[in-house]
Amino acid sequence: MTDPIPAEARAANLRLWNAWTRVHERSSYYDVEGFKAGATSLHPLELEELGALVREGTTLLHLQCHFGMDTLSWARLGADVVGLDLSDEAIRLARRLTDEVGLSRRAEFVCADLYDADAHLGSRLFDIVFVSWGAIEWLPDLERWAGIIARHLAPGGTFYMAEIHPFAGGLDEVPGEHDVRVKYRLLPAPDQPDVEPVEGSYADRCADTTGLVAYGWAHSFAEILGALTGAGLRVEHLHEFPTSPAPFWDWMVQDEARWWWLPDGEGGLREDLPLSFSIRATKPAG
Amino acid sequence: MLDDYLKANLANWDEAVGVHVNSEMYDIAGFKAGKTSLHQIEIDELGPSVHEGTTLLHLQCHFGLDTLSWARRGAVVTGVDFSGEGVATARGLADEVGLSARATFVKSDVLALPDSLQSRFDVVFTSWGALIWIGDLERWAQVVAHFLKPGGVFYIAEFHPYVFLLADDSSRDSLRIGYPYFMHGGPQRFDEPDDYADREARMQHTVTFEWNHGFGEILDPLLRSGLRFEFLHEFPHTIVGLPFPFLELCEDGLQRVKGHHDDFPLSFSLKMIKEG
Repeated sequence: MTDPIPAEARAANLRLWNAWTRVHERSSYYDVEGFKAGATSLHPLELEELGALVREGTTLLHLQCHFGMDTLSWARLGADVVGLDLSDEAIRLARRLTDEVGLSRRAEFVCADLYDADAHLGSRLFDIVFVSWGAIEWLPDLERWAGIIARHLAPGGTFYMAEIHPFAGGLDEVPGEHDVRVKYRLLPAPDQPDVEPVEGSYADRCADTTGLVAYGWAHSFAEILGALTGAGLRVEHLHEFPTSPAPFWDWMVQDEARWWWLPDGEGGLREDLPLSFSIRATKPAG
Repeated sequence: MLDDYLKANLANWDEAVGVHVNSEMYDIAGFKAGKTSLHQIEIDELGPSVHEGTTLLHLQCHFGLDTLSWARRGAVVTGVDFSGEGVATARGLADEVGLSARATFVKSDVLALPDSLQSRFDVVFTSWGALIWIGDLERWAQVVAHFLKPGGVFYIAEFHPYVFLLADDSSRDSLRIGYPYFMHGGPQRFDEPDDYADREARMQHTVTFEWNHGFGEILDPLLRSGLRFEFLHEFPHTIVGLPFPFLELCEDGLQRVKGHHDDFPLSFSLKMIKEG
């Protein structure tokens, strides 16, 4: 099957994620030292909505795992985890962290493009497939994505994703104001990637990312839910939230639970716009 | 409070019936002459589930044109609306077009419908501008599930929640946000003298209370009520009916956002099945 990601996009995004890995390892956003000292990198949301299903020995596949802190946080809760990411630098860091925190018996990391997952995972099945925060924007083809998820879920298994809201993906700041407007497309166009020069990182806005370019794709709920359903999964919930795990602009405001909000201009927080969502779906048993 | 919202909205809708029966948009003469009032999308997506004798419940049916159009396609239909004017007009139309044997109309608020209707249905249908009048989608979803037979189909074609966010002064180059997606603070109050089907109309009952609902708020209660997700479709166009200045009417008779003909969703359809 042909790769749905054009070669120049794949190369640019790989270069970007390798560069971001070096930035993120030292960022206060990722707080690698805190993680090593025992802090979880998961948000209360993921713990609340998926945590109850993760027990000693639960097998969990984390797709697009970056350098594995969330993957390893699930391992600390008892799961036997496999993390997969396209960035070789991220996977190297994930493996180093695994050793450092003593989780090598229950954590394995695979360096592969998402669309090549089958070749690396073979016929392995997992109780849980987990996807989170800023993953699907790097994928043009969600049907193939959902097919990979369904093929590696055990019958009765659970898929869970927590992601940036499709509506938030279409927003830009209003120049000169701490306000937002719709600028980018809100419906998918697999053959029309959004190609943008990268300015810093969501984890460190001042990082030097000169020369780096990101290729991203817009998605919609119809597309996401349709892909999962088409792959044979059964949708269990769709939740939406006015918060984001990372700031889109430097004037957003963080709360004590690490969520980022749009300010309302009067000292408060805007609760009116959707910035993130979560979906849970199951693979029918038998 | 809810009763006050309902009362204001009912006064507006009772009056709107008189405006709509004479409007070009509703084209009653065309309907009487045999034209369907259904749009291509409903016919394409729900039509295959409607056969001779299919029982269909139409929630928020206004004065019944769509309800009767499903009856013409073979369904045995029940239309429900909270407006007595709407229901009376619907019954008159059913008589005139000779469909009263297969069409029943009930005057009731959707959320109170289980008090006045006993039957169960193969299909529950609702469309275009219905959800903004419902404050409690949790209860609404329970009503939908209550009236469906096991294996029955729920189908809705609606305006997209994103379009209700855009500020009135949005333009092709600047799509500003003017209204909320999440309605934590209760409904929006509007006070507008004209009518969506007749911009020249001058209404007496101008105040309405409306709710925008996000996809989570629509889908989640339906899932919790025992319906299985079948599909959600989103379209960059909508049927005529939204009076917003940033929209334009295209040659195919559909409205789109000026300068955003393929990237801003204006309508959606959702199909779900009650577990058998």
